[in-house]
Amino acid sequence: MTMQEKIARYKADFDLFFCPDEKIEYIIDLGKHQIPLKENEKNDESFIRGCSSNAWLICECDHDKMHFRGEGESMMAKGMMHIILDIFNHRTPEEILSFDPAQLQSMGIAELLSPVRQQGLEAFLNTIYDHAKRCKSAQTKEA
Amino acid sequence: MMKIENLKANIGSKEILKGLNLVLEEGKVHAIMGPNGAGKSTLSKAVTGHYEIEITGGDIVYKNRSLLEMSPEERALEGIFLSFQNPVEIPGVNNAYFLRTALNAKRKHEGKKELNAAEFLRLMKEHLESLGMKSDMISRSLNEGFSGGEKKRNEILQMLVLEPDVIILDEIDSGLDIDALRAVSEGINKMKNGKRSFLVITHYSRILDYIKPDYIHVLKEGKIVKTAGPELVAQLEAEGYESIEDENQ
Repeated sequence: MTMQEKIARYKADFDLFFCPDEKIEYIIDLGKHQIPLKENEKNDESFIRGCSSNAWLICECDHDKMHFRGEGESMMAKGMMHIILDIFNHRTPEEILSFDPAQLQSMGIAELLSPVRQQGLEAFLNTIYDHAKRCKSAQTKEA
Repeated sequence: MMKIENLKANIGSKEILKGLNLVLEEGKVHAIMGPNGAGKSTLSKAVTGHYEIEITGGDIVYKNRSLLEMSPEERALEGIFLSFQNPVEIPGVNNAYFLRTALNAKRKHEGKKELNAAEFLRLMKEHLESLGMKSDMISRSLNEGFSGGEKKRNEILQMLVLEPDVIILDEIDSGLDIDALRAVSEGINKMKNGKRSFLVITHYSRILDYIKPDYIHVLKEGKIVKTAGPELVAQLEAEGYESIEDENQ
């Protein structure tokens, strides 16, 4: 499934709900599937600065794709991380870098977030894009 | 599928079921008809484990186990479903939450993956359309402010979602206009799959025009006094219950 197809699927899911509270509960439910990181993986390097809740992101970059694992502390952070990683995970750096994050707006969930959480989402996306740049650079050197 | 053997049951100190015998066959529609006070609703409550009922004798064997050893919750998880004669209103309990919780409890019991809210709503959407129900009904409190027809349709919605093995319909036709009766009957007919058994409790033959029964049982004074094919309905309509003699005597 492409990133755009994943976004369309989430949009269709969120359109099923009748009120914003139900959408938020759905996001929280999705976060319940999060697999926690090991304690030693939660360090300064993986810590995402700018998130309203503590959150960590690990990226493994192979010769082709990027593989993310993350953990958020709050229920909302867990849920949002689940959605974002479901869209961005196991992609090539080129796919991520050519993807305009403004497309995420079409899911209609950004407006459910408080301004602080919106900043957190932006910080999380910036971290993903930073990893994508580093991964692309590493792959270019390797080639 | 289910064998009710010499079942005796009291409500308070009054004996209502007085040695009732009935075999529910797999995939068949059994209609129970009888006069007021014969014990029809007591039978449905005895099968589902209602707290008012005291079983004083006999047994109900279901899937090779005595149903009487199971809690009402366990009976429901094992696939027994009762559609209430007067569905209860529960203000503050969202219809969708209620039904998703019930469905996921059953799926968990069966070792299946639980459905998330979006997966559940997608499933609900299909069923709502087939029953001619408005989509906002699932976001309202359970049965609160529903009309009689809406309540009965909501019972059928629960049945469609929970996919039980034995379906007991206690006067599902009461208070329904023709359109609602047709929609409810279509919902019931959709559930027929050759394996699922139905126990349709009714006073009137009208619903049996839509849900074709395989057997008609007449319940009088706490016992099944006659069992026959659908042709018995015409006799009951013409002659009433008084004409029926206990064929066991």
